[in-house]
Amino acid sequence: MAKAKGYSDENLSVRLADRYYRTDDASPDFLKNIEKIGMTIAHMCYQCGTCTGSCPSAPRSSYRIRKFVRRAVLGLENDALTDPDLWLCTTCYSCTDRCPRDIAPTDIIMAMRNLAFKRKIVPRNFLNTVQFIYKTGHGVPNNDVNRAARVKLGLEAEPETTAKYPEFIPGIQKILDHYGLKDEADEILSEGQ
Amino acid sequence: MSGKTHTYAFFLGCIAPNRYPGIEAAAIKTSRNLGIELVPLKGASCCPAPGAFGSIDLNVWYAMAARNLVLAEQMNTDITLICNGCYKSIWEVNHKLKHHDELRDNVNEVLKEIDMEFKGTIDVRHLIEIYYDKKICGVDKLADSVTSPLNGVKVAVHYGCHLLKPRKEREFEAEGVGDTENPMWMEELVAALGAEPVQYRNKMQCCGAGGGVRGYDIAHALDITNEKLINMSEVGADAITEGCPFCQLQFDRGQIEIGEKFGVEWAIPVLHFNELLGLAQGMSPQDLALDLHGISCEPFLNKLQ
Repeated sequence: MAKAKGYSDENLSVRLADRYYRTDDASPDFLKNIEKIGMTIAHMCYQCGTCTGSCPSAPRSSYRIRKFVRRAVLGLENDALTDPDLWLCTTCYSCTDRCPRDIAPTDIIMAMRNLAFKRKIVPRNFLNTVQFIYKTGHGVPNNDVNRAARVKLGLEAEPETTAKYPEFIPGIQKILDHYGLKDEADEILSEGQ
Repeated sequence: MSGKTHTYAFFLGCIAPNRYPGIEAAAIKTSRNLGIELVPLKGASCCPAPGAFGSIDLNVWYAMAARNLVLAEQMNTDITLICNGCYKSIWEVNHKLKHHDELRDNVNEVLKEIDMEFKGTIDVRHLIEIYYDKKICGVDKLADSVTSPLNGVKVAVHYGCHLLKPRKEREFEAEGVGDTENPMWMEELVAALGAEPVQYRNKMQCCGAGGGVRGYDIAHALDITNEKLINMSEVGADAITEGCPFCQLQFDRGQIEIGEKFGVEWAIPVLHFNELLGLAQGMSPQDLALDLHGISCEPFLNKLQ
């Protein structure tokens, strides 16, 4: 990891070697992109570990939020975006709540997930939600058992949402299409795992 | 405490109207008894789910939430809602678009395609936070509305994550709501209904479902839920209450799934605060469609004195 400086005095060059952890495949834009998408100051992290210590996913998996923040700072884009643990954050924001540097590690994860999606790395369940919303406006749509229960309660079978007013759905589809999200989801799902 | 009626655009979300409609019915009825009129927001969609949707593309999350906000702006009415996930989406996007010009401009460029514009003219509040707000309701008024006190039962409060966090970005109108390490205001609301709120280990831990984890790795999500159930049962909770239908789904269906996956049997009824309030105001289990719950509420109902 340490990189010699190329000074003419070989001994000094080795002794004063740059000990910043830089690998050849580090992406200099990774941190910048994360800070822009996540709207947070990832570079302020001093690796105290309060985030991992607050994380409900840490005790039951190899997911370490501190490690992901380090990867952000060091530009280790491939490591971060291809790690399946990226999808184990429940977004509880306990780390964000307690971070002594006022960083939002949760939003770093969200930004990384956005960047992973651009590379078509995304679990299928996320794409299914997109398809449901495109079709019905709801991530969890109505069903017949529920309709009957609603009527018994004195409610209308369809709630006052896009369920009852499907004329609002084309507007939703326009928004999703603006970002090409539905096509992207369909394509990734059809490619399979 | 004035006799004035406060009217809100009621953002329904997905899971309450489409899985636990008793929460929707109870919210409307119980709020009316407190001088709060809820008008369901016509044409609203999914908030959209902050974890499942925001993880893919935050820009779409902003635009979709903004569309819901504009519907309420057109009614010139503040939004209230009954789900922590919706609260994160709708409150936070409203706040972000109000304070970041570039974000707002980007969103409005998209909304223009459907003849809408985000103006930033309304506010968003969680209904439970409104109940705690003395300026509108408050604990005393809530207690006064109780006709069938929930005496003799212990209730564990699950605040859920997005009701209060991320704290550094949130602004609460009700006094005494801000603490995220050991808040007690929801316990005050539960006590006002006659029930005994109980304290348990790691109260503020997540239910496990959020961030798309329930869909991505259900065993992981359920293991988090199971830890909370252990901690709640240690102090003898007869029921769990929360302000989030997604947490409710995770605790309610989750107990059945935990039985199937881990062979651990649980039977702790899970009631949204509005369902609990409905019972305390004299609504029947039928009025609340409690039969739709995965875990039977009977033991809890039978224990009421």
